[in-house]
Amino acid sequence: MPRKSKTAAKPGGFVSTTVEIEGRTETRIVEMPAFEPAAWGDDAELGIVGSRVPRMDAPERVTGRARYTADITRPGMLYAFILRSTIPRGTIRSIDLTRASKMPGVFDVLGPGDAPAGTRLFNREIFYAGQPVAAVCAENENAARNAAHAIAVEYDALPFAVTFEDASAKNAPRVRAKGNVMENAPLVMSRGDIDDGIKAADVIVRREYRTPVQLHTALEPHGAAAEWEGDRLTVWESTQGIFRVRGDIAKALDIALSKVRVIKDYMGGGFGAKNSAGPHTYVAAIFAKRQGRAVRCINDREAEQLDSGNRPSSTQRVTIGAKKDGTLTVIFASIDVPLGISGYEGGPGQIFHEMYACPNVRTEETFAYVNASGMAAFRGPGYVEGAFGLECAMNTLAKGLKLDPIALRKKNFTKREPRQDRPYSGNNLLACYKEGAEAFGWLTENRKPTTENSKRVGKGVAAQVWPTGGGPPAYALLRINPDGTIDVLAGTQDLGTGARTVLSQIAAESIGAKLSDVRAIIGDTESLPYTGNSWGSMTTASVGPAVRMAAEDAQHQLFEAAAAMLDSSPSSLEARDSRIIVRDTDRSMTFAEVTKKLGNVMIMGKGSRGPNPADTAIMTFGAQFAEVEVDIDTGIVRVLRFTAAHDAGRIINPTLAESQLEGGIIQGIGYALFEERILDRKRGLVMNPTMHDYKIPTMADIPVIDAFFVSGADPVANHTGARGIAEPPIIPTAPAIAAAVSDAIGVEMTEIPLTPWRVLAALKKARAGR
Amino acid sequence: MRLTVNGRHHDLPPSPAVTLLELLRDRLSLTGTKLVCDRGECGACTVQLDGEIVYSCLTLAEACDGSSVLTVEGLSSGGADSALSPLQRAFIAKDAAQCGFCTPGQLIAAHTLLANNPAPTDEEIRAGMSGNLCRCGTYPNILAAIRAVAEGEFEAAPAAGATRAS
Repeated sequence: MPRKSKTAAKPGGFVSTTVEIEGRTETRIVEMPAFEPAAWGDDAELGIVGSRVPRMDAPERVTGRARYTADITRPGMLYAFILRSTIPRGTIRSIDLTRASKMPGVFDVLGPGDAPAGTRLFNREIFYAGQPVAAVCAENENAARNAAHAIAVEYDALPFAVTFEDASAKNAPRVRAKGNVMENAPLVMSRGDIDDGIKAADVIVRREYRTPVQLHTALEPHGAAAEWEGDRLTVWESTQGIFRVRGDIAKALDIALSKVRVIKDYMGGGFGAKNSAGPHTYVAAIFAKRQGRAVRCINDREAEQLDSGNRPSSTQRVTIGAKKDGTLTVIFASIDVPLGISGYEGGPGQIFHEMYACPNVRTEETFAYVNASGMAAFRGPGYVEGAFGLECAMNTLAKGLKLDPIALRKKNFTKREPRQDRPYSGNNLLACYKEGAEAFGWLTENRKPTTENSKRVGKGVAAQVWPTGGGPPAYALLRINPDGTIDVLAGTQDLGTGARTVLSQIAAESIGAKLSDVRAIIGDTESLPYTGNSWGSMTTASVGPAVRMAAEDAQHQLFEAAAAMLDSSPSSLEARDSRIIVRDTDRSMTFAEVTKKLGNVMIMGKGSRGPNPADTAIMTFGAQFAEVEVDIDTGIVRVLRFTAAHDAGRIINPTLAESQLEGGIIQGIGYALFEERILDRKRGLVMNPTMHDYKIPTMADIPVIDAFFVSGADPVANHTGARGIAEPPIIPTAPAIAAAVSDAIGVEMTEIPLTPWRVLAALKKARAGR
Repeated sequence: MRLTVNGRHHDLPPSPAVTLLELLRDRLSLTGTKLVCDRGECGACTVQLDGEIVYSCLTLAEACDGSSVLTVEGLSSGGADSALSPLQRAFIAKDAAQCGFCTPGQLIAAHTLLANNPAPTDEEIRAGMSGNLCRCGTYPNILAAIRAVAEGEFEAAPAAGATRAS
């Protein structure tokens, strides 16, 4: 069934379309693809797409053969180390590089004034602890590190502010040159009238919620290796966006894009922190140029935890009200976010406008700069923080209304995306509530809190939305080799998400090949067509359609060639398992038989991602359910069981997609229970930049997780029917766990992480109040 | 110093102030073992030393003179998938590696756990593997892979060299 044209533009013509990236909407001019494959709806007969094939690059990952950036070596390679400031604010009075430059094995040293202006490296003015102040290049990493620590730096300290309160106070120290609070504060989003909504409410909940700074803590740190050949630069970078890094480098070093090649093969996690080039990239490239040798610069763990991005903290003052029957009348949130020294307004506000039908919604967000390392996108940025405030408030409201929290959510289910009043491409949130609640036993399993010992059991629920439509531009090529094997070429990235596998499945399905004949080649700006960053849960929904189109284009050409050989017509042919069959006959040829006859005449299909459907909300939904046990003597919280039901349209590979769900939930468990960057307010320093003191979950902390997708393709979103899945599962985890803890101990928890100390303090406060 | 790595004997020049991890990665080009925290907190650098697991980032190379080391490269007997050890095949089948950066350490820890306790309970697996951090959140699948091997779901392929160096 051909897809209805949503626009009058002809193939090859250009149209305007919108793309939502992590909650931000961008308008883009994009060319109409030469043709648009018919959408795969629920009735599409698919064999490889939708099947649980093993991750195709897993053998590399389980043998140590997979090469990550820190595994890259080049002949004569040198190693760089970046020295970072030890004070949060001030100026460098003096810096002496002489001793370091004379240390054994040292080749080169960079300090203030030595890097091209475009890199903004080695500023004499210090804005946060951890800011790069100098770098050393040496014959090995230890020599570089030792020499860097021999650099003598004297600072003139200045007053600083590392909390929102300190930065936004009257007479606050100047955090940076341009003002401490983001211009045009507060950022207001509004519909209806808050006062009307409060008047109309029978029950109102007013609470203040607090969320911590969360650190990405990807096991592979940020890093790059750089090598020049004449005026051409090659950079191996652990990144979510090879083309963006290429652009960053070209701009910072003032060289042409055609002179920069960025390669990313295997990558040890990103989670939003690896979207751009960074100091390590520029340091490697500058030293490599100066020394005429390859240079590798990899963050050590302290640098990674100190200065490679974070999810900013938030304080959310939430008012939420409803009629007795549960109909929401008002949602209001006043939100403070300290961004660090840099960042963007990807704040908690948006989910308050998108999750529920409610006529009166308003958020006021104030973003302050503070003297700490800048924030970066982190899996579900803004929505994770906002969901904690919104969903905790919903659960408290349900209690006040004496309504089941799922019933309250169903009551306020919205059939249209309410922030922009748009239809959804598809929305199975109600199925998530239903199937999740059934799988969890929400209504049937009620473990009584035990009173004999100190253990208390409770359960909680929370829900999620997240914009995941992906979009153009994204391109793919597919070429059939003379032996019938197939290369899929797309300049995208596999962060550990399974992109190689998913794109191969789409290609194999579309062209009618055996999956084992298909290989996805990704991660090289020089040889592959453009795709965007792997962020915003966008890769499958952006690149997948381009790959499908390339495969159909190639199949069309293959059928043209085979028709003559099979004494048939292209329209009579179909392909399966790398074999072309003349329909209703016993005549067939394998791909290899056809391509062998063609010799080096190459069949090459081209695909591009078409525009998104106009004025349509493309979102992923989900509901999560937690059961916890709290020891009221020690304050220790254990998650006993966890269930998650999500709707992301068609699932290309359920095994890999469920891994994404589990991964998001586990990061959410960390956010709920353990993870918190501690900044000393008086000294302006991070107290826990290690993996011992910054606690991420271990296997011993993880319960049995039942995470699954409700069925249903989304042929409106794009012609593969798939939406994004990477970020949604972390969004509702913390409020579901907080609700379960509150249920277990009978004390409402409004601040995460729910450390033993915090739980005991809440219990003590509750006892004192009785 | 003499060191046996994955069944291969090496005569190496003295290397004071070099960790076992640096020796493996930088001198022997066995880059499967990863550097993550460099202070014994995450388990990514886990290797087997004379049958016991150690954090190779905290182990001085000199202290390993005469010892035998098993790294992830020693779990399989070659490049072909058929030569993968049962644990490696289980990791693939159960999707126990997402980004894969912690996987070499996880595999060595799990391999040693099963060598010492061929039929662990889930609680024993959780306790035994809790020194190996994973940020992608593959823990449920790692647990499932170890359990499957313990239950004999991935009997050794004939060509496997899983225990060659241990």
